[in-house]
Amino acid sequence: MKKNLLLIHSNLRKGKGQAAAISILIFLAALLLNLWLMLSTDYKQNFDRCHDKMNAEHVTLAVDDDSEQMREFLAKAVENDERTSEFALGQVMLMVGSFDYNGGEVNSELVILEKQTAISRPVGKVEIVEDSDIQSGIYMPILYKSEDIAIGKTVTISIGSNKVSYPVCGFFNSVMAGSHNCSICELILTEDLYNELEAKGYAPRATLCSVRLKDSAESADYETALKSQVASQYPAARATSNSYELVSQSRYISQMICAGLMGVMAFFILLIALAVMVSNIVNYIQENMKDLGALKAAGYTGSQLIAALMAQFLGITLIAAIAGTGVSYCLFPFLNEMMISQTGIPYEIHFLPLPMLVSLLILGGASASAVWLSAHRIKKIEPITALRQGIRTHNFRRNHVPLEKTRAPLDFALALKMTLSGVKNNVTVCITILVLSLVVVFSGLMVENMITDIDPFLNLIVGEMADSCINVGAETEEDFLREMERDGRVEKVYLYNSLPVSHKGGLELMATVCDDFSKANNQDVVFKGRFPKFDNEIVVAAKYAKEKNLAIGDEMAITSGGKEATYIISGYTQISNHLGKDCLLTRAGYERMGECQNTSYYINLADGVSIEEFNSEMKERFGDGVNATINIEATIQGAASVYVSLMTVIVFAVLILSFMVVVFVLYLLVRTMLNNKKRDYGVMKALGFTTGQLIGQTAISFMPAVIISTFFGLILSSLIINPLTAAFLNGIGIVKCTFTVPVGFIIIAGAGLVLFAFGAACLLSLKIKKIAPQALLTGE
Amino acid sequence: MKEILLKTEKLSKSYSSGGVLQHVLKNVDLQLYKGDFTIIMGASGAGKSTLLYALSGMDTPSLGAITFRGETISDFSADELAVFRREHCGFVFQQIYLIDGMSVMDNVLAVGLLVNKDKKALVRRAKELFQAVGISEETQKKFPGQLSGGEAQRVGIVRGLINSPEILFADEPTGALNSKTGLDVLDVFTKFNEEGQSVVMVTHDMRSARRGNRILYLKDGIILGECNLGPYKDGDRGRNEKLSSFLSEMGW
Repeated sequence: MKKNLLLIHSNLRKGKGQAAAISILIFLAALLLNLWLMLSTDYKQNFDRCHDKMNAEHVTLAVDDDSEQMREFLAKAVENDERTSEFALGQVMLMVGSFDYNGGEVNSELVILEKQTAISRPVGKVEIVEDSDIQSGIYMPILYKSEDIAIGKTVTISIGSNKVSYPVCGFFNSVMAGSHNCSICELILTEDLYNELEAKGYAPRATLCSVRLKDSAESADYETALKSQVASQYPAARATSNSYELVSQSRYISQMICAGLMGVMAFFILLIALAVMVSNIVNYIQENMKDLGALKAAGYTGSQLIAALMAQFLGITLIAAIAGTGVSYCLFPFLNEMMISQTGIPYEIHFLPLPMLVSLLILGGASASAVWLSAHRIKKIEPITALRQGIRTHNFRRNHVPLEKTRAPLDFALALKMTLSGVKNNVTVCITILVLSLVVVFSGLMVENMITDIDPFLNLIVGEMADSCINVGAETEEDFLREMERDGRVEKVYLYNSLPVSHKGGLELMATVCDDFSKANNQDVVFKGRFPKFDNEIVVAAKYAKEKNLAIGDEMAITSGGKEATYIISGYTQISNHLGKDCLLTRAGYERMGECQNTSYYINLADGVSIEEFNSEMKERFGDGVNATINIEATIQGAASVYVSLMTVIVFAVLILSFMVVVFVLYLLVRTMLNNKKRDYGVMKALGFTTGQLIGQTAISFMPAVIISTFFGLILSSLIINPLTAAFLNGIGIVKCTFTVPVGFIIIAGAGLVLFAFGAACLLSLKIKKIAPQALLTGE
Repeated sequence: MKEILLKTEKLSKSYSSGGVLQHVLKNVDLQLYKGDFTIIMGASGAGKSTLLYALSGMDTPSLGAITFRGETISDFSADELAVFRREHCGFVFQQIYLIDGMSVMDNVLAVGLLVNKDKKALVRRAKELFQAVGISEETQKKFPGQLSGGEAQRVGIVRGLINSPEILFADEPTGALNSKTGLDVLDVFTKFNEEGQSVVMVTHDMRSARRGNRILYLKDGIILGECNLGPYKDGDRGRNEKLSSFLSEMGW
């Protein structure tokens, strides 16, 4: 043991720089690994903790009917289901409404509760997280806390053609209805204002049914069954609902993306750390062959020498990993703040031993394997051979680029010789650049399809987009359509309505009903097969189809309002609004089960027409005939701007980190090269090579690997980036991405990457300037 | 009248070692002539190699001037000195210092191509030189690690001569070789000197020193004495006695 400690001490003293380099890489890997594990494990579990703490419901159902019969019906239906653990019924107001947020507009099913009722419900209660002295006003979900929605400021809610404004008293947390991502968004009014709004009759009275289940895994099935019962008993009632399964996923999309990227980066850096570790050990053995022979001659066994290396590298790894995981807790508050603004669910930072332990095990295990694989050849060293002449580890069997024959200029030829004799360096460079190419292509993809122009991203995630959406009652529909045809500002109007249906033997699906899908703006919504044309055709979400083993051409039984109809699957869609539980039907197809009531029409307006003014005008013209108007552009902008800013931060962080890693890897390689070739550089300087020539040769020697791996890396990444992104977004129902790969951006980025690597290699090679030819005098 | 190639005026070189300034060369005034085989001798630490590397532009003096054909090279920048070395000097080192990753031929051509762009002529000259020092075609394809010490040093001499330098500097070229191989290498130096090549060699070996026509003895950083032996002739006893007497006079 004592012998080994002496060896470790001696090795560390000799290789301080190498130890520092590996420490930095492991530190970064540990930091990202721990953040990834915390985000993907405990952060997700926080939803369950919060859910349990507030005794939140697993299924929420709001029906625009607060009659005693409805209450009794719901109570009986819920009580009779043995999966129910407990439930609460309450009187609320339910309507489609909107309010301004983050430069855009939030449009959602709004459930308005009275404050005391909201905080005292046995199931599905809310928690006031910020309060004030304001006695009369509105409490908003904490997710919407922003510059414009702050305590004391006024929030205007649009309900149909009416608008109401209230001062903000505070903010609350609702696990199942605290965001527009939950299908239902709760708002709380103080008693006076609640009564006042109720009296105005802007929003229909409704019954809110919150059910807590014995097993949360049943939530989606339960929701489908309950809604189906309501629909069959009360076909005219408008019901809206959500389930634990939907909400627990939809509120964590950003966290999932962020965690995924961190995981990828962590393993990328770990891979580089391992490459550096292996390269260091191989160099160490090469350079210290005689010393190792001497130690063996003195009585050390091969295992002892390997154990010393193992202890040395594991020690460095564990110390750096503990520091990295520790520092991750310092960064976590910033990340947490960013995540809370996305999830809307508060998270209290606390020490998590498991992610830390897993991080340490991953890093320690990977390091130990790398050390073992690269150091086991120490066992083969024969002391006598090593002592006499050292063992030639570099066998120059081939004279690469013979100067006698090559036409290449001298410096270029010498650089090529260096390249071809440094296979390990080339492999390290290639791995680094290949991964970086993927990062560059991903960044390009995000810049092109999200940051500079968000439409492709929205087309994929949201599906159909238009300028305005107007929901009209059945009795107004004809007049409305006639008016639209006459109005010169309207370029296109088409039915595009979301209605809940149930797959018989399956789950509840959100059916998008359209009178003619060829009118839709986004013709990529169906990515395989075709849109439904006839009344017996359906398009189903690919993710759901895969889960239920449904192929194009198969039949599918759908129920709505207690009626059933069978459809042939004509294609797959991947709208992610309901996390892959969607289908598309023609109006005629849907009406085989029941009438479309309160239909939503999507409208494309001519350029320059104010959507807001148009919507207001329609509300005025048709009065109560218009149930709701949505400025789609503003709504999308509000929600999308958050994603865009998050993605911008991620793209910047990933790019900066990646380029830092490239510089770091090149630094290590150049430094190793300078150490190994210090004598050669001195000799070459003595013989008349200038510093500039040697720097050029060194930098150029990395370029073949950089250029080749950049070229193939960018091509390969461009080919796999869409499937990879689709795999990444699979959780939200995306199975195929068709983002435009920005060729121009990638070519420029590729050229930039090569130039950057060349510049970095030149700068890092400046140390050659310090190598003096006279160093040969002292044998340095 | 011999042509002066290199000239030093009050050449001094000092090093700081552990905070103590050591004056390795002190006001050395010296002239090196074309065609001479100059030997620099002295005890260990006398400053022989420091003088050699200062003269060859591999190191810069602390004080004083060095001129080559009237041009003051001691004022040159590092890159100018590199160009000076490649165009006017050749080097042979005690440790030989061939580049391990290059074949024998490439070790020579890498230096030759720095100056001579006519590759065909360069390869021809390299082959002539290899032949002159007894390096076979087969050996030219080998790597330094596959050569014997004598072969490696002969390759080192070819590398030093490839650009037809005006002065060939040699720092203890036989120091790492056995007796027989050392003699072979010295014969090569003598041969080229007889053909007109100027040579400056640092040695502390009598056998090597005998090959020179001019012996400079360095002690404590100053040139203590100089001895002219005339052209080398094998088996010249008088030459040996003259050298021995000079060296004992110098305290050797």
